[in-house]
Amino acid sequence: MSADNITAGAAPLLELRDVHTYYGQIHALKGLNLTVNPGEIVALIGGNGAGKTTTLKTVSGMMKPKQGQVIYQGQNISGIPSHTIMQRSMSHVPEGRRIFPQLTVRENLEVGAFTITNRKLIEQRVQEGFALFPRLKERETQLGGTMSGGEQQMLAIARALMVSPKLLLLDEPSMGLSPLFVEAIFDIVERLNREHGTTILLVEQNANMALAIAQRAYVLQTGEIRLSGNAADIASDESVRKAYLGDE
Amino acid sequence: MSAFRLHNTGDQVDLQTVMTILLQVLVGGLSLGVLYAIVALGYTMVYGVLQLINFAHSEVFITGGIVGYFVFHALQDSSMNGYLKLVLACLAAMIVSGALNVVIERLAYRPLRGAQRLVPLITAIGVSLILQDTLKFVVGLTGMFDLSVTLPKGFTSPLTKFAGIDITSLNLQVKDVILLVVATLMLIGLNLLVNHTRLGRAIRAVAHDRQTAGLMGIDSNRIISLTFLIGGALGGLGGVMYAMKYQALNAYSGMAPGMKAFSAAVLGGIGSIPGAMLGGIVLGWVETLLGVVSLFSALPGLHWLSYIKAEYKDLGGFLALILILFIKPTGLLGKSSTEKV
Repeated sequence: MSADNITAGAAPLLELRDVHTYYGQIHALKGLNLTVNPGEIVALIGGNGAGKTTTLKTVSGMMKPKQGQVIYQGQNISGIPSHTIMQRSMSHVPEGRRIFPQLTVRENLEVGAFTITNRKLIEQRVQEGFALFPRLKERETQLGGTMSGGEQQMLAIARALMVSPKLLLLDEPSMGLSPLFVEAIFDIVERLNREHGTTILLVEQNANMALAIAQRAYVLQTGEIRLSGNAADIASDESVRKAYLGDE
Repeated sequence: MSAFRLHNTGDQVDLQTVMTILLQVLVGGLSLGVLYAIVALGYTMVYGVLQLINFAHSEVFITGGIVGYFVFHALQDSSMNGYLKLVLACLAAMIVSGALNVVIERLAYRPLRGAQRLVPLITAIGVSLILQDTLKFVVGLTGMFDLSVTLPKGFTSPLTKFAGIDITSLNLQVKDVILLVVATLMLIGLNLLVNHTRLGRAIRAVAHDRQTAGLMGIDSNRIISLTFLIGGALGGLGGVMYAMKYQALNAYSGMAPGMKAFSAAVLGGIGSIPGAMLGGIVLGWVETLLGVVSLFSALPGLHWLSYIKAEYKDLGGFLALILILFIKPTGLLGKSSTEKV
């Protein structure tokens, strides 16, 4: 099953070439090759410790690969600090949401727009965020840390969207949320992709959900890619169903 | 404290005298308190972004005082307006102290980013000692900078009238009011900066979560440098205010007020900016009150107050610190670090 045939010809938005990343002594990514084409939702699934989060962190510059290249918009960005990478219309919603609990909802959004200097544009984006998540508008002046997990996830996504990113890295958006919130969050992710053409690299524990909205997927196991291809094909793959989709 | 007088006729102390003393404490304590507050801000802001107690801050602070002394000294015979001299002294001190603080961070603390917390802490003590010895070269081993002659003449005049009301009894000098006004303006300015500007939001974001701030496109090293610049500049300004208030400086003059400002920061809740302001003012009041409280021993039933000598006033601040931390370990406005994840 070759994923690359599907969009052959178009220049990928993101490409990982033989990426090796270490957590201290632990070899977390062992020569990862992965592409994300413009306009796609690509799901990264796999068990705990497979290297999903590490992959996202390596892309956004939170971790430096020891070997290999991360090519974003045609440029090698491996080793560049995250604050520089994030100025190139990429956003990363980190694992555990990591909103700023002592800042109000509005301030969280404004920090998300840090790289924008045009005040009008910032205000416009804040309003767009409120339109996307009306719940946040209700909580505008509330401290981020006082909200529920689902609301915090909404805030984390809205904050990441402030820069209107070409590439959105989403790490476990469903973690710890009630099914209702999970549904709402996935709806939004799908809408972002469909209506705004935002390219999304999605890491999910909830593989069923992820494969339902993704076009393509990679299955990670202990730092290596086990499988890749159409999301639908992956979803129907016997071994995947057994290992990650809860089939006996 | 000799500045305070109580007209005591036998066992009778009239109410008006008591009120006057309390008013003196209120105003005098406030002017001392805002001084502690602006120095405390330097500790608390740095702690906020790095969880580091910058022990060198007391030297950064007194360096500002020494720079202020040099400016006043150089302009001693100039016919320049006294307030203009003060502005120049403050600006020079803020620039030098701010820059010094930035250099300290760059050379001593940044290379230790990621090291265990004890390592930069010990380094901070080392930097403090190095600066103290360096200042000895400037001031002289037993030297003392005397500002009583160089300070603009009007600054030490007693203040007799305010808005038409006779305030002679408050025992204020012009410099006390300058200190109160300048420090208060600084506190308001800093509050606006931190709470209502893009830079302020970035500082708070970095203080809370450096990595995630990076994901927002914020260069945390730059924000940390700016925080040291702001904290150092406030310290430098505090140094000039201190020099103006006490009119004498040596290489060690930063230690005691630095320690008190640090206590003020802890008292208010280290890492909290409003906490540092409140802590400074509380400390200023407690200290000033303790300095005069023995005067009330003439009141019926309060004879025991005569044992609390004015010399114990420094003790008061630290006792208040222990007491408050005993009741609220995170300080007055400190937040406990539990939050929803």
